[in-house]
Amino acid sequence: MFKDLEPQKITLSEWSEQFRQIEDAIISKYTYYDNNKWGAYLQPPASFMVYGARELRRLKFDNSFAALRLWGFVFNESERLFRAHQSKKKIIATMGDLGIVPIIVLAFPNCIPFYPECIWWTPFFNESTVLLDKASELGAPEAACFARAVLAAYFKKAYFPKPDRIFASTGATCDDFSSIMQSVEHLGYDIIWLEVPQRRDSVKHTQSEPSVKTTDGYEYPKRYEEYLVKEYERVWAEMAKLTGVDEKKFLRQSIKKANRLRRVVTSIKTMSAEADIAPFPALELMTIEFGNLYGYADIDEWLDILEAVKETITKRVKNNKGVLSKDAVPIAWISPSPDPYLLNYVEDMGLRVVETEYVINQALVEIDEGLDHFRALARSFMQASLIGSTAQRISSINKAMRTGKIEGILITNMLGGSHCAMETKLMERLLQDKPVLAIDVPAPFGITEQVKTRLQAFAEVLHERRK
Amino acid sequence: MNEGNSKREILTPRERFGLLVIDEKPDRCNIIPLITSHAAHIARIPLSKYYTDGKAMAQAQIIALEEYRHDAINLFSEVGIIAEAMGSIFEYPENDLPLLKTPFLTQSSLSDIKLPNPQNAKRLPVYLEAIDYAYNAIGDKIPILAYVPAPFTTGMMLSDPNQFLIQTIKQPKLITEIMEISLQAAIEFCYHIINAGGLPVLVDPLASSSVVSPKTYEKFALPYEQRLIDFLHRYDLDIILHICGDTEPILDLFPMTGADLISVDRVDLSLVLEKLSDKIRIVGNFNTSKIAFSSPAEIRQQVGEMLKIGKESPKGYIAATGCEIPITTPVENVKAFIESAKENAWYWD
Repeated sequence: MFKDLEPQKITLSEWSEQFRQIEDAIISKYTYYDNNKWGAYLQPPASFMVYGARELRRLKFDNSFAALRLWGFVFNESERLFRAHQSKKKIIATMGDLGIVPIIVLAFPNCIPFYPECIWWTPFFNESTVLLDKASELGAPEAACFARAVLAAYFKKAYFPKPDRIFASTGATCDDFSSIMQSVEHLGYDIIWLEVPQRRDSVKHTQSEPSVKTTDGYEYPKRYEEYLVKEYERVWAEMAKLTGVDEKKFLRQSIKKANRLRRVVTSIKTMSAEADIAPFPALELMTIEFGNLYGYADIDEWLDILEAVKETITKRVKNNKGVLSKDAVPIAWISPSPDPYLLNYVEDMGLRVVETEYVINQALVEIDEGLDHFRALARSFMQASLIGSTAQRISSINKAMRTGKIEGILITNMLGGSHCAMETKLMERLLQDKPVLAIDVPAPFGITEQVKTRLQAFAEVLHERRK
Repeated sequence: MNEGNSKREILTPRERFGLLVIDEKPDRCNIIPLITSHAAHIARIPLSKYYTDGKAMAQAQIIALEEYRHDAINLFSEVGIIAEAMGSIFEYPENDLPLLKTPFLTQSSLSDIKLPNPQNAKRLPVYLEAIDYAYNAIGDKIPILAYVPAPFTTGMMLSDPNQFLIQTIKQPKLITEIMEISLQAAIEFCYHIINAGGLPVLVDPLASSSVVSPKTYEKFALPYEQRLIDFLHRYDLDIILHICGDTEPILDLFPMTGADLISVDRVDLSLVLEKLSDKIRIVGNFNTSKIAFSSPAEIRQQVGEMLKIGKESPKGYIAATGCEIPITTPVENVKAFIESAKENAWYWD
């Protein structure tokens, strides 16, 4: 059995060297969909580099066996979706709502939800403009968010199979995403649109209406929730029509599973943030956080991987070991970076990510199992930072700053006409008395010395403030 | 280049190859004729520069790719590279491929063989440099294939070939020992190829039935092809095994190698499909004499016929030549091959 070495971040070549120690029996033990023929996923980063993931040469990865499982599984997702389709599972694209519709889909037998827009990472992992160029050719504005890669992916049919159903959100979601999905519809795909409401604050704007207060302290008009419940019932009806199954008891199980996933991830995040020494790298932690959306197309195996990660982190915290130096300065990261390299680089500069606002907080909170299922899902979604005010979005960051949990804030900003681009200035204004750096994430190959220098200077300032 | 067809192309070669290896039909068949040293001819560089300078090899391959628009970079010169790194001596004629001058085992004993380090042993680093250059330049769009001699072929290049064949009968234990160290050397080379971003393609021309009997193949070549492929399967890579010449007598043995794709040469493609296509993907097999000496019109017509058969292969098919395209093959002939393949290769409407 492979024994974890002293925790550290290692290169692709170093992982290959470690991988040589792993026995064949171990490699064949880890599979998705329990399929021994094509489901083995325990491969080192070099395997994925051979198939075109060029940025892996520049990245550093956690050296634990759990991290090897994590990366092998995540990088295998495209193949996994095709294999699912070949095995007659139903492939359901759940887009834009980030975290709720997959829970409904998972209540139906042999149905695999996934988020096609997560392909926005692919141009960066591949150091390639193939998808972005094709998206522009197909009419997506060049200034739109990198999620436009999804338009090219739908066109090419080489990154995921043609979905059996596509649910896409509109309304208080990312504007760029909605317009890109209109272009996808023009390619001939049938899209079932789902409208998500904006969360207006009851106290300020709609006092006369019955309202709902969430555990996070949000208060909003109850009719929003009623509306979402109807939308989710519509999703359910579509899925029932597709599968011929209509058993609500399975939704209860699906919610339980989602909660289990959310609890494990919360525990991983909390342990990582509170440890004296960072026990796990930011890139892996971001990947873990995004797994909450749908479990990377095999939620059971993903849960198993997360339990292994949790065990690794627990051990490291207990032994006071980690992957960064003890004096790394804790920061918050707002908006996820599509370029994974930035997460590596920030750590190389002596910073440590302990708080995140990746616009997916609705996928992190536990769903109330005591409520009617659809209402519970709606209430969970209504906590989304994506649909509220900027002040609400940064409230947890402000709190972390006040309590000294973080000493600086990094915002990664994407081109486009939506939250990422338009909200950055507002956030900077609201955080003006705090050390904030906002950088634009450049297109693949675009991280210049200038970008690096800005990050380096930000890190130096934060270190200097400690003196 | 036939613009009409190129406009229909939806996928990059990288995407097309990616679908093939997960059992999905791409927009059209992958078209990967074995354009190896012929690339030096296209790039107008001396052959000796091509096989001793990794950057030159990669650049020549990229120039050939721009000329022909096929679907992969094919990094290869000849099958002696591992044997040379293990001690066999080769000559480098300026305008010809390396020639085996002194096989190591004709001068020294097996115990003197050292396992080569691919990063600095003879021309192995040339290949690694070529992979690195090509991968950086176009690796996001094009698969980088690096051809690796399988242990049996390397073993024969370490020995006097006639003696080697006699020893398979008279001294099988010695041959087994040669095979073992050749296998280790191949594994080490493949390991470095993978870390550089290349996909190893195994070539075992001296194991063909044109050279050895099926019995010898089964006893001395197949087990080592199998073990090398097992090693590569640890990385979940899909492996092409290429054996040129006549392989009809050993077709039934190919599934035992574990190869994911089998590349054949002088054997009837219909027969290959009949025997293997439900178990393994097929690569091949346009006659290389014909590509060198036929007219473009004849090539077009015959490639069309080949595609009609090949693309019916249920597990997948790569349109290729049966062996390397001869170095001085006229450009028009190779273009005729690729244009005709592109006209006939479509799966998607």
